[in-house]
Amino acid sequence: MKRILIVDDAATVRLYHREILETADFMVDEAMNGIEALEKALQTGFDLFLVDINMPKLDGYGFLRELRGQDLPQAPAIMISTEAQTNDERRAYAAGANLYLIKPVKPERLLAQVRMLLGELHP
Amino acid sequence: MALIKTQCVEPIAEEAREAPRDCAGLISRLAASDPTARRWAARDLVDCPEAAAALVERLKQEVDVSVREVILTTLTSLGDPIAIAGLVDCLRSEDTALRNEAIEAMQQLPDAVAPVMHGLLADPDPDLRIFAVNILESLCHPQVETWLIEVIDQDPHVNVCGAAVDLLGEVGTRNARASLQRLKARFANEPYIRFAADLALGRLHEN
Repeated sequence: MKRILIVDDAATVRLYHREILETADFMVDEAMNGIEALEKALQTGFDLFLVDINMPKLDGYGFLRELRGQDLPQAPAIMISTEAQTNDERRAYAAGANLYLIKPVKPERLLAQVRMLLGELHP
Repeated sequence: MALIKTQCVEPIAEEAREAPRDCAGLISRLAASDPTARRWAARDLVDCPEAAAALVERLKQEVDVSVREVILTTLTSLGDPIAIAGLVDCLRSEDTALRNEAIEAMQQLPDAVAPVMHGLLADPDPDLRIFAVNILESLCHPQVETWLIEVIDQDPHVNVCGAAVDLLGEVGTRNARASLQRLKARFANEPYIRFAADLALGRLHEN
């Protein structure tokens, strides 16, 4: 079973994404900010990260930059944000994201993108 | 091994607090090359009511975490309309950390933020409206639920409403019920809004 870490400071968003992913038989863990996510990522191997941008303590950019700097197997990351600023997408990819999505993401779209990044679907 | 590079907060040397200590002198010291001097200046400017604009300008370019913290503490203590306007300006920054710091500072100033909240929630930029909702998250003010209900009744942007619903699930009362139902109807094709509104409606019983 593939393991996915949801990183978002909004509890409702975490729960929404958790339900979508668990319904599709993914194993899900959660983190409320980039610091907590980094600690979990170093303790446990995840197959994919679903990461919000705006978070307290350490934002999504900072988390991905730190994660990509670690000497460990690198899982794909989807950066997901409420923001539609053009710079955000560029910054997300520069930080190490594999995909950038704007919230809210419909369940079928999220699952399709997750499966594609996990190699379970072809684009 | 530290995962995140943290800045060492060195002890504040008294010599870095050198004269002049008048308001104009302190404002000029905000640009000193030594972060300790900048930190002392930012701290002592708490006695200078006219210092808010200079502190905000320094905040936007300050890279030393400890100096930023002191600037924000002083701005929070000043809490005047210029300080608030400066913090609002920081919400428009692309610097996520600066935005979060401004949000946290404004959460400490309910009486000073209240007069500008309507304007923030009506700003043309949906991202700024989301940050305004984020301020409400820890704003100790009796109007918080009313503002959130106005957002979900009126705001056309799905993510602004989503942020407000998320918070209403925590602080909302039965007064929010009808608006949450209307929101579900307004965004009938958005699964997230339906999910969040149902969650909030369920929690209203507990509040």
